[in-house]
Amino acid sequence: MMNKQLVIIALAFMVMLAGCSTTEAIEEPVGELKSEQAVNEAKKVEEVTESEKKSLPPRTSEGLSLTDSRVGIEPTSLEIPKLNVNASIEDVGRIENGQMGVPQDPDNIGWFEPGILPGAQGNAVMAGHIDSLTGPSVFYELDKLEEGDEIIVHGDDNETLRFIVTGSKVYPRNDSPVDEIFGFNYSSGLTLITCTGEYNRSVKTHEERLVVYTELVQE
Amino acid sequence: MKLNKTLLAIPLSVSLLLPMGALANAAGNDDHGEVQSEEVSNAAVDLRAALDSILSEHAYLAVITMQKGIDGSKDFEAAAGQLGENTDELSAAVGSIYGDEAGEQFKTIWSSHIGYFVDYVTATAEKDDDGRKKALANLDEYRVVQADFLDKATEGRLKAKDLEEGLKMHVDQLIWAFDSYGEADYEKTYTSLTESMHHMFGTGKGLSWAFTEQFPEKFDNLSVDTPQADLREDLNSEFSAHAALAILAMQKGIDGADDFDAVVAALNENTEDLTKSVESVYGAEGGKQFNEIWNSHIGYFVNYVTATAENDEAAKEKAMKDLDGYRKVQAEFLDTATDGRLKAADLEESLKSHVDQLLVAFDSYADEDYDKAYDSIHEAYSHMFGVGTALAGAVVDQYPEKFESAAPTDMPKTGLGGMSQGTDYTLWAIVSTMILAISAGAVFIRKKVTNS
Repeated sequence: MMNKQLVIIALAFMVMLAGCSTTEAIEEPVGELKSEQAVNEAKKVEEVTESEKKSLPPRTSEGLSLTDSRVGIEPTSLEIPKLNVNASIEDVGRIENGQMGVPQDPDNIGWFEPGILPGAQGNAVMAGHIDSLTGPSVFYELDKLEEGDEIIVHGDDNETLRFIVTGSKVYPRNDSPVDEIFGFNYSSGLTLITCTGEYNRSVKTHEERLVVYTELVQE
Repeated sequence: MKLNKTLLAIPLSVSLLLPMGALANAAGNDDHGEVQSEEVSNAAVDLRAALDSILSEHAYLAVITMQKGIDGSKDFEAAAGQLGENTDELSAAVGSIYGDEAGEQFKTIWSSHIGYFVDYVTATAEKDDDGRKKALANLDEYRVVQADFLDKATEGRLKAKDLEEGLKMHVDQLIWAFDSYGEADYEKTYTSLTESMHHMFGTGKGLSWAFTEQFPEKFDNLSVDTPQADLREDLNSEFSAHAALAILAMQKGIDGADDFDAVVAALNENTEDLTKSVESVYGAEGGKQFNEIWNSHIGYFVNYVTATAENDEAAKEKAMKDLDGYRKVQAEFLDTATDGRLKAADLEESLKSHVDQLLVAFDSYADEDYDKAYDSIHEAYSHMFGVGTALAGAVVDQYPEKFESAAPTDMPKTGLGGMSQGTDYTLWAIVSTMILAISAGAVFIRKKVTNS
């Protein structure tokens, strides 16, 4: 049924195009039959309508979205106004045992550098400590973030990007959806990770991970 | 006549789109002599490649059809027919995931945007600015409907907001390619054409990602997002754009069209992209050799077009002979580069298909057999997806270390326990033990003292 429709559209289109040229072709001979003055006037009118017709405003590329503007930025610091967090960012990678690396300074935030730039398509991932050996760290209150809260990423060229919290989830440390967190996303997201739950002294880590999901606000 | 052909195409597409990895066939089903790599070709990645192929060909055909429309070209109907077949293929793909009814719904929505593009072309031909604005307004509405459909279908894996952005880019690129063509700004026309085709590879990745996340068991729990898959689709993007631009250049060449030079420039830019890809794997020398060989075959095609224009049969023969020679050299190059992973004999066959498809597409165009021309264009376009897959398979097998995922397999250790209550208890325990030990020691010492 749709095929028919397409063919009809195509045919209608052909007819319309053909119609245009036919009209123009007919106009000339009609003019010839008129008196000279009438012809001149007719010509004037024709010129006016032609020029009116031709005044189809040229379209500009303004407002058009021709390339993906989501190229991302090299992050240098991260702000979470609600938690009064404003911390420097360290690049981290994957450590030998397969874990995502963490910042050297527990007051900094680690951005997974081999992954996605914040603001680009996909999931950029950052991790921060909940606590140091002696006290609270940069993401101590990360669990207080709620849907709609704002996160600001600053780049090395003074660019800023805004992200909005869309939700958060707590996963067992050995059963977190790692593939999903570091995997593809059609949107531009920034995912924040910290520890939560009981601190297990024998394995020297917390039993759970808190993952906060955010989404880029395209200005 | 067009209608029958379109209907025939559906069952074929459906059978190609069924699981068991058969999707790969939708995107180039010839033997390219490849080492089959599970990482390069599997149920998930094949889905991605198939969608990339259909979607990017849609962009190409849409731009071309709009040009043929405004020019009132004789092949307008055949181009539009091919675009319709492409819609059938895409709808069948959607139907294979979500069922026939959803496939039909998708088709109605998708076809609507093609209709609005036609409206835009018609309004432009009639210099009717209101008509043009109305078409654009309809395209805006289409974006919302299409985005909503896909958001719901993928259960929010693709978000309407992002889809609308993506669709805006698609619409804008096509409109811009068309407007620039109308204003004889051909450089912009073909930049926008190639970008619109490339953009569709992002759409294909997004869609296939959502489908495979939603129905993992249908795709052997495999991911479309791997470095190997990215290589395959990067190469497919470059190879398929080559075929598309080569055919277009040949058409523009024989027509003596004003935009011939701009199409050739776009084709040359594509050769540079391909060269960079080859260079990234086989080094500067490899890239240079590839560039020379690849350029030679473009030159022979140009000679063939010139000979056709001049009705010079001998020169045509010569061009075809040169193309035979090219096949041998190109096949040897790839056999050597891949260390025999791609076999020269198979490569020659595959290159013969490429050359023949382009020549048939061109000859049919010149002979005004436009249905045949656009069928061959479709074949030539799809064939390139096999070429990219074969080369990616060989490269991944040859340099596996280049394609190891950098992603972590475990969560970070973001706590040192300083704020954990457990710490306090432990400290208490240590302190108590120490106090106890000290007391015990004191008792012991005292005892000792008493004993002595």
